[in-house]
Amino acid sequence: MAILVNKKTKVIVQGISGKAGSFHAEACMEYGTKMVGGVTPGKGGQQILGLPVYDTVWEAKKAVHPDASLIFVPAPFAADAILEAEDAGIALIICITEGIPVRDMLEVKRVMSQSKTSRLIGPNCPGIITPGECKIGIMPGYIHKRGKVGIVSRSGTLTYEAVWQTSQLGLGQSTCVGIGGDPLNGTNFIDVLKLFQEDPETEAILLIGEIGGNAEEEAAEWIKKHCTKPVAVFIAGVTAPPGKRMGHAGAIISGGQGTAEGKYEAFRKVGATITESPAEMGHAVKKAMK
Amino acid sequence: MNLHEYQAKKILKKYGIPMPEFGVAESVEEAKKIAHDLHLKQAVLKIQVHAGGRGKAGGVKFAKTPDEIPTIAKALIGMKMVNQQTGPEGVIAKRVLISKPVDIAKEYYIGALIDREKAVPVLIASPEGGMEIEEVAHKSPEKILKIPFGFDGKLRSYQILRIVKFMGWTGAEAKVGAEIVKGLAKAFIETDASLLEINPLVKTPEGEILALDAKLSVDDNALYRQPEIMAMYDPTQISPQEGAAKEFDLAYIAMHGNIGCMVNGAGLAMATMDIIQLFGGAPANFLDVGGSATKEKVAEGFRIILSDPKVKAILVNIFGGIMNCATIAEGVLHAAKELHVKVPIVVRLEGTNVDEGRRIFKESHLKIGSAENLKTAAELVVKASKGM
Repeated sequence: MAILVNKKTKVIVQGISGKAGSFHAEACMEYGTKMVGGVTPGKGGQQILGLPVYDTVWEAKKAVHPDASLIFVPAPFAADAILEAEDAGIALIICITEGIPVRDMLEVKRVMSQSKTSRLIGPNCPGIITPGECKIGIMPGYIHKRGKVGIVSRSGTLTYEAVWQTSQLGLGQSTCVGIGGDPLNGTNFIDVLKLFQEDPETEAILLIGEIGGNAEEEAAEWIKKHCTKPVAVFIAGVTAPPGKRMGHAGAIISGGQGTAEGKYEAFRKVGATITESPAEMGHAVKKAMK
Repeated sequence: MNLHEYQAKKILKKYGIPMPEFGVAESVEEAKKIAHDLHLKQAVLKIQVHAGGRGKAGGVKFAKTPDEIPTIAKALIGMKMVNQQTGPEGVIAKRVLISKPVDIAKEYYIGALIDREKAVPVLIASPEGGMEIEEVAHKSPEKILKIPFGFDGKLRSYQILRIVKFMGWTGAEAKVGAEIVKGLAKAFIETDASLLEINPLVKTPEGEILALDAKLSVDDNALYRQPEIMAMYDPTQISPQEGAAKEFDLAYIAMHGNIGCMVNGAGLAMATMDIIQLFGGAPANFLDVGGSATKEKVAEGFRIILSDPKVKAILVNIFGGIMNCATIAEGVLHAAKELHVKVPIVVRLEGTNVDEGRRIFKESHLKIGSAENLKTAAELVVKASKGM
């Protein structure tokens, strides 16, 4: 089962002619992802990595019927790339691009929240992977192992750390979703939690949050009301000083809101298993499952 | 990016927001000229730094006579302000804002920011100004009005009316107030601001409404299309380390501890600082080298960490995804050789091309402690930082 993507998922890459786009398209193909084409305006008709390239997503949609699009378009043009994919009716849009202006994302959020066809993951995220079936993103494939834990996270490399720990412990992952480190993103914690709750293969959930905003607090509320599966939680940024943006555009404590302590407290209240050590995320899930 | 008060005011002026006349001086001569040009008999002088709490820190002074203006300017220009916001290093005021004093009958607050949860810009208004809006929100939440507005920076007529009534503005005041509120929302959107505040906005005994202070932070990701604001960047307001990191597009934030950290990815970089603290150590910095770092960028990151004299040990924690472990290894070695590193280094590598990265370190003959996992790495570096 797993969620959102599997071995049947057909994928195109927007920005396939760029360095990152072609490099990661190839890595995804090597992993076994069913890559069916690419889009770069002005390069329609060419072939890259043996894949047909189209000028627009609409043409790609008509020709190769993709289920998902992976976006590597540079930040100034990335919002348009997302809107184009939505307009063409691509069901799953995964935007890796970091650095999209917030003002551009306001419009994207408005469109995505009303979309009847599409879901956006990211931006500024590592992507999504169902181990052994489909990798749509920039994560190193080999650290994953198919298994029981659904992982959802705002961070890229910290997710790799969690994946590695759960693989080492033999738990494995059903699907891993990086929702991204920006203040405004497409899919949030609750969206993914709902899917994991309904997925029979997912036996436990590992949620990795960080300072800034209140998406974690809302997720905790949702867990209390709707989640019957064991949940383990790590929140990054206990040491982060207030008012400083910690790398991610969304990782900032402002006006005393968005602290790691506040988020831990929210999860503690709803009975989630929390760990304050990033080296113990795997063990925390194991403990939660007992 | 944060702007100075005088820069924010210059921008707000373009949007028709009324304020007392002012000038900005970098020297006593300039201060004299401003006093002369603006015919100032008295003046308020405020240091220009990227930190709040200037009044309490002695950075805001009142000149009662024209002669006092240059004297006070002399004392304030070059003043080092230290408070909780600036950290122990403090920030130096290179400039002082000089403006006509005004009598205050009432203080208000207006501001705008992005509501992350609703994904809309929001205007915030309060008839209680002059203190932190968080404080008002805490003490008397009923005195705060939040109005979401259009992505085009426009408020609807009924929204403006609601704000005007909430603020208690009537007659001529209401007209001016409405224009101020409109200007603020428009400025917020057009400058790609993440925060824009006028606090306090004041009413004089004569019924004039004026912006006395202004704060503007602009979305870093949008600076590429805000060349005028980009040109206002002031490197003197951040530490030399943060300045150097910015030049090389590295995310660096100075901390107060003694363990230097070099990590890829913002989440892992935060988590690395957290685990250092958990094991009884203290991080000297946050440093995310990013996903596409070159050997040179890694070397520069290392140089920045070492330029902090507090650093007693360094932890390199890399989980390669886009980032290739061999690139990190080469960069660290390059910097370590060039800089004759004396402090112990602990390296933890995993992910893309990890075997090659580990081989490079092993064959380097440098004294580098290697750790198989995050826990061991944290334990080793905390011990090393304590000279154990």
